[in-house]
Amino acid sequence: MSLFSSSKLGSGTRTGGGATAAPAGVTGGLASGITSGRLPTRQLGLRKTAKITDEEFEKLADFIYNKTGISISIKRKYLLENRLGARLSELGLKTFKEYYDYLQLDKNRAAEMEVICEKVTTNETSFYRDARQLGIFQNEILKETLAKQEALGRKELFIWSAGCSSGEEPYTLAIMLHEALGMSIIGWNIRITANDLSPAMLRLARAGVYTDYALRTTPKGIIAKYFDKVDAGYQVKPRVQKLVQFGPVNLSDPASTRRVPRSHIVFCRNVIIYFDDAMKKKAITAFYDNLLPGGHLFLGHSESIHKLSTAFRPVPKPGAICYKKEE
Amino acid sequence: MSQNASNDHMALSEDYVRNFFTYADPDNEAMLQLYRIGVFRTAKALSAGWIMPDEDARTARNLEYLRDNFEPGDVSVGELVSSETQLASFPDIYFRIRKVLDSPNSSADDISREISNDLGLTAKLLKLVNSPFYGLAHTVEDVSHAIAIVGVEEVSTLALGISAINVFKDIPQELIDMKAFWKHSVSCGVFAKLIASRIEGMKADKFFTAGLLHDVGRLIIFKKMPYASVQLLLYARENQLPVVESEEDHLGFDHTQVAKQLLTEWKFPASMVDCLAFHHAPSQAQDQLAASILQLADNMANAMEISSGGMYLLPGMEEGAWERIPLQGDDLVEIVGLFDSHIEELFKAIL
Repeated sequence: MSLFSSSKLGSGTRTGGGATAAPAGVTGGLASGITSGRLPTRQLGLRKTAKITDEEFEKLADFIYNKTGISISIKRKYLLENRLGARLSELGLKTFKEYYDYLQLDKNRAAEMEVICEKVTTNETSFYRDARQLGIFQNEILKETLAKQEALGRKELFIWSAGCSSGEEPYTLAIMLHEALGMSIIGWNIRITANDLSPAMLRLARAGVYTDYALRTTPKGIIAKYFDKVDAGYQVKPRVQKLVQFGPVNLSDPASTRRVPRSHIVFCRNVIIYFDDAMKKKAITAFYDNLLPGGHLFLGHSESIHKLSTAFRPVPKPGAICYKKEE
Repeated sequence: MSQNASNDHMALSEDYVRNFFTYADPDNEAMLQLYRIGVFRTAKALSAGWIMPDEDARTARNLEYLRDNFEPGDVSVGELVSSETQLASFPDIYFRIRKVLDSPNSSADDISREISNDLGLTAKLLKLVNSPFYGLAHTVEDVSHAIAIVGVEEVSTLALGISAINVFKDIPQELIDMKAFWKHSVSCGVFAKLIASRIEGMKADKFFTAGLLHDVGRLIIFKKMPYASVQLLLYARENQLPVVESEEDHLGFDHTQVAKQLLTEWKFPASMVDCLAFHHAPSQAQDQLAASILQLADNMANAMEISSGGMYLLPGMEEGAWERIPLQGDDLVEIVGLFDSHIEELFKAIL
């Protein structure tokens, strides 16, 4: 006997009581003042954009995946429709087919890829984001690495910030280096290579001007020391900026990742969560190949390379995990 | 209130409520109706002085201090569930009832004796079946009377649902708002029953229990991985995704898979397991209509939460699920009206 459909003899025949038979007057908060079944909002529509067909979705998702490694499952069809729909009207396009063609053929197609990346990911970032993880970096990994380099008589340090968005992360790392080395930073060769897919993000990063909002988790003393107040907000000081080099790198393209100088430390936070397993593996391999022996990898708070790679050794610390490439 | 103020509230409310529907098919009649109901209720709440959470609050931008690390992918559904069944921390009242049910010469009296031993449970159970929501013609005085009227299987699964509320009280409040969780569960149960009672041939009572337990898999995830749970809830808000999607992103599985395995091991009635396990994918269920009803109820419960500060998006309905349910969009307005008249009393009775 099925639990959810009634049989003639079961208790199901006894349930026709109050709920359905409640008198019309007892319909509570919502219906007060409304004729049953009619709402004053009944003219409102939920659709504001063109409709995406399954075929259009598939083509677009494939295209985005091949270009960026970002994987979008069919379950997110309406999400994509919603997020890109407004863009179609901005461009004066009527269907997602037209938009797909635009991405293939239009002279602005490269710029349009940036728009897509922005729409399908979050660029949520700020200075000193994930304080505990950065604490592990500054107080342990960075200290150890600097001491080791100094002992070897090689006063150089290379860091790769992969997926740097508008620059908050690499500048934060640069500030931490200044804090760690103080005046002696002059004797060091330091380079932070910072990449993002989006040229628009890179432009913002190079400009280095931020609002209060981007600095909301940054200690006041740090702001005073490393930023100049300008009309538009806070400008990162040149001594911080000169440690960072920005450029476009596509993590799905090995030819592109191989151009990044080999690093002691790699940061890639909140990027691989958008990738499918195949693409995640590609990215992790790129980091592994880029890291010098004994180097460390930092991922986002909810990302893990478990199941993807056994090459790294997880180094659990209170409040953060990083991954070490063995010597 | 002036007409202008009310128009302002309406416009604010439209923009706000729309955010919660980005995951839903905008052409789906049920989703459209829930959107309209949501806008109306939110505008009403604004007029009554409700403060709308701003985008920072909705997307959890100021909750960075809650972040922690954990190793997603470390745990499989099987491991999660087997550690739970070994601990047997789930209400043992269910197992005692189950034992009686499975024994060949047991009677309804034996079951009623088992339940009656638990005074707290008995009190809640009687309050529930005597509520106007249940709408029974006579007052039910004791458990055996309830069994006679509502049925053995119903009373025993309901007993499990109610006892589950107590068992999972030890999840740290600062991590996860369990009160909100149970309110959502009770609301889903109420909607599921109200929907089912309008459809010929459906046993409406069972849908209440199904709604009450529809997210039972999430309880196991919360309990076993409280920090991971916080992360995935934050991620859902930051990225404006339904929680079920965030689970998949973080854990590689979702709460329905956990529920399926857990309840199967506990020998839960197969049709109940089927309904709970597929409430996000009714087309894969044996009884597609039942799972579709639960999916609609879940979305309705989510839609009601918008105007009282709910932060999570509607999960949306699978293609074809609404079409399976023989109701019209306008029926949902009436169902919401009935929901409003019963819900506070039910919260009081069982939470």
